[in-house]
Amino acid sequence: MSATLLPEDLPLDAHRRTQSAQRGRYGFFPGCVAKESCKELFNSTMLLADKLGIELIELTAASCCGASVVNDVNRDVARVLNARTYAQAEALGLDDVITICSTCTGHMRAANKELLESEERMDHANAILGKFGATYHGKVTVRHLLWLLIDDIGLDRLRAMVVRPLNGLKVAPFYGCHIIRPESVNGWESARHPHSLEDVIEAIGGEAIDYAGKTRCCGFHIQLEKDDVAANMVGQNMRMAQDHGAEAVLTPCPLCHLALDGYQADAAARWGRTDLPTFHLPQLVAFALGVPADRLGLNKHLIDPRTILVERELIA
Amino acid sequence: MAKITLDIFRFDEAVDVVPHRDAVVVDIPETTTVLDALETAKADVDGSISFRRSCRSAICGSCSMNINGITGLACKTPCNTVMDETGAIKIDPTPNFQPMKDLVVHMDPFWDKYARLKPYLQPSDSDSAHERERRVSPDDMKKLVDVANCVMCATCYALCPVVSVDPAFAGPAAIAYAYRFIEDVRDGQRKERIAQISEDYLWLCAHCYACSYCPKHVDPNDRIIDVKRAAIKDRVLMNERGPRHALVVTKWIKKVGMLHETELIAGTIGRFNVRGLLKVAPLGLRMAYKGKMPPMFLKPIPKVDEVRTIFDALEVPVS
Repeated sequence: MSATLLPEDLPLDAHRRTQSAQRGRYGFFPGCVAKESCKELFNSTMLLADKLGIELIELTAASCCGASVVNDVNRDVARVLNARTYAQAEALGLDDVITICSTCTGHMRAANKELLESEERMDHANAILGKFGATYHGKVTVRHLLWLLIDDIGLDRLRAMVVRPLNGLKVAPFYGCHIIRPESVNGWESARHPHSLEDVIEAIGGEAIDYAGKTRCCGFHIQLEKDDVAANMVGQNMRMAQDHGAEAVLTPCPLCHLALDGYQADAAARWGRTDLPTFHLPQLVAFALGVPADRLGLNKHLIDPRTILVERELIA
Repeated sequence: MAKITLDIFRFDEAVDVVPHRDAVVVDIPETTTVLDALETAKADVDGSISFRRSCRSAICGSCSMNINGITGLACKTPCNTVMDETGAIKIDPTPNFQPMKDLVVHMDPFWDKYARLKPYLQPSDSDSAHERERRVSPDDMKKLVDVANCVMCATCYALCPVVSVDPAFAGPAAIAYAYRFIEDVRDGQRKERIAQISEDYLWLCAHCYACSYCPKHVDPNDRIIDVKRAAIKDRVLMNERGPRHALVVTKWIKKVGMLHETELIAGTIGRFNVRGLLKVAPLGLRMAYKGKMPPMFLKPIPKVDEVRTIFDALEVPVS
């Protein structure tokens, strides 16, 4: 079931069966936000990896992916920064870099695509990496944890691992942008009709809510430019989710999480109160797989997700 | 042949208070385009169905509409790629526009933003363009050909989530068209154009790539980034939040290898902008209360010198 036209063994293929996947040892790129304001995402990812029986080897010397912002300043720098990160993964014998942020996924995949599709750009990057003795050989695939869950673990196995099914909790998937768009970069699934989050939600015993806002933008990148516009984008999407019956939101991206968790209160004046608790992807999966709720950092969220878990008798 | 049901949004602003829907069944090959299906419905079933169209070949840009929730050109969309199992296709006017009659919308806000660009070449005063032929090198022309393919169908504008909540935003098409003049070597108003489009909220683009579905592959998303880079290169309105944000993010990646959340908030809003900082303070306090405050100080990543080497080799501006 390949969503791209590329042969299966090419690093650009999001569905590639990597050597890392076969060994259960992955390069891990947590990204900046999971190390700063969303530490609960980092911690719950490590707890989930434990439950899944996979090893995530953090690329501790990796830099920021460029966060879509450095492109505004220079067209080459994000590409070369990411080539440095891939070279580090290769040096550790890893051909897979797993991300837990949509923006990291999209921009790291875009950088890899630029490198792999042009010898000139690859040589240019390697000429700079050569100044400190590094080389990128073009063997790395960048994938999101969400794709790993479905392609490497598999939905059937995931279902079998669930010890605390979500009891039909109505969860609105919120993809955000960079894990699906542009399709030419991500290509794991259709950006217009994605279903990966829905599949995971159903596998862990929840009910996935369908609403148009699930593939729309959270406004994170313009919070500092015009916060009322960003808040309205959150409000618009959360209003749709709630009108379709959502009790909670699940997102694969900490930037979306910051926006949805932080700005629903500001959006209430125009869109009405929604107060939908937002889970990070690994938090909710780890919870269903039996990680105790108090280890998942749920108390760090501005809209406390424990309330709905208590209401649904999932925690005491 | 297949029986296809077109579920069409019907509304006439001259007489209707609320819109209604009509289901029209047409018997056509399922590979027919949605536009031809509409033409058949209009010719054979109901002559009052209104929609814009002209060329039928994705050149005129008239027939953008919302087809089963997806906005695009009806003439470029075969029925069998969008209809459901029952052969139904839901057709609505493009979002982000006021409906006028059925699928025809008021395009004025879109054209107004385009007109603000002064979308014609303006050579500098010293340029004697009118007296001689102006040559453009193939390399210079290459920058413009993709954007010149824009047919102003407004699909990108309809897809833009920022436009949907803030009609002041210029929108993807206008910014892409600004690029077309900014990067034209024959034009003499580069800085003025960058300033104009910056004032029309260039930096309010949310990087969401919704406009990557351009039916003509203009890729407004990438052209917006090009214009931002032009603004920084030419140092136009550098004291606004957009360029400050881009540069402070870049500066701290060079310094510590990571995005520095607290520094980028202070750096974007302005360390001495008390009113601006007070505005974000409540959210900051709520986050601090939950133990979610990003660290004030970040230790540089291991081998951060390598990151600095990359920035220096590429001569990346950081202020």
